[in-house]
Amino acid sequence: MENDKLNQLWKSQKDNSNTNTPENIIKLAQKQRNGQFLSITILSITVIILIAYTIYCSVYKWNNFTIGLLLMIVSLVFRIALETISLYRKEQQLIALDSKAFQNYLGKHFKIRKIINYGVTPICFIIYTYGFTLLLPYFKREFSEGFYTYILISGFLSIFIIAIIVAFSIRKENKFYEELK
Amino acid sequence: MNIENQFTELYNTYAPKVYKLCLGYASGVDEIAKEWQQETFIKVWKHRNSFKGDASISTWIYRIAINTCLGDLRKSKRKFQPINESILTTPIDSNSKTSTDKDIQKMYSCIDQLTKNNKTLILLELEEIPQATIAETTGISHGALRTRLSRIRKALLKCITNGK
Repeated sequence: MENDKLNQLWKSQKDNSNTNTPENIIKLAQKQRNGQFLSITILSITVIILIAYTIYCSVYKWNNFTIGLLLMIVSLVFRIALETISLYRKEQQLIALDSKAFQNYLGKHFKIRKIINYGVTPICFIIYTYGFTLLLPYFKREFSEGFYTYILISGFLSIFIIAIIVAFSIRKENKFYEELK
Repeated sequence: MNIENQFTELYNTYAPKVYKLCLGYASGVDEIAKEWQQETFIKVWKHRNSFKGDASISTWIYRIAINTCLGDLRKSKRKFQPINESILTTPIDSNSKTSTDKDIQKMYSCIDQLTKNNKTLILLELEEIPQATIAETTGISHGALRTRLSRIRKALLKCITNGK
């Protein structure tokens, strides 16, 4: 009798579920997939151009400029690849595991994310910034003072903004996983 | 039957149940439940080739729905209304139609007090999903499931009736 009350209450809710259509879901899924392909393509092209430029420069002279460029590319690509693998793996587990196993997986995933967030990311950031500073003397020599100042300010400003965004997302992620415990 | 028609059939069969499940995780917030329902079926479509038939299709869809809700609690914290504790102390009124919304809110407040696993179990049970499917979806043995469900129901009813 009492149990019936609970079921009645549950069933008494309004059903607002039919606001989407399967056709729209398919379109959204395709849009999401196209977006992922586009991001990967843009990133790959950027990396190819940067690597090609580094090789082109290194042919003439292997110096601090090529080292700096290489450090920036490697740290950036490594961090993005790590993020992509992490997200891809999480989605694969999400569709394959039962809810109990998925919660256990989220616990393990959190430990790995902690290592990435507090270990790998700062190292990548330091390497990226160091690589950028190695380029500066060459920029100073090659460009006008005004343009050099622009590169200097915009370069460090963008590094600072990225650092804030990364710190914010790490904080958000930590909060989420703490709630999962 | 082509793949789009198969998906349409699946969507029409399971979307209402998935929505109600998500509503349970979203503390009754319709906007979040719809978002999670949509995300669930996007994943079902995207990963349709990964379904190998080891479990039934319903189990697979419920697993994706629950894991989507469990893995995306950040959104929930952002948009959820804080639970009004005073609702829990008001006795449930099964006769008045006007109090139904309050009773539903009270029910969600009580569901929110359950552990994540217990919440999953009771939401599936309330949606009248067969216990064998619940066991497969959650990874809990069928035998243990019955006992746990009975305990959860008792606790939930006590909370809804007495606010404890």
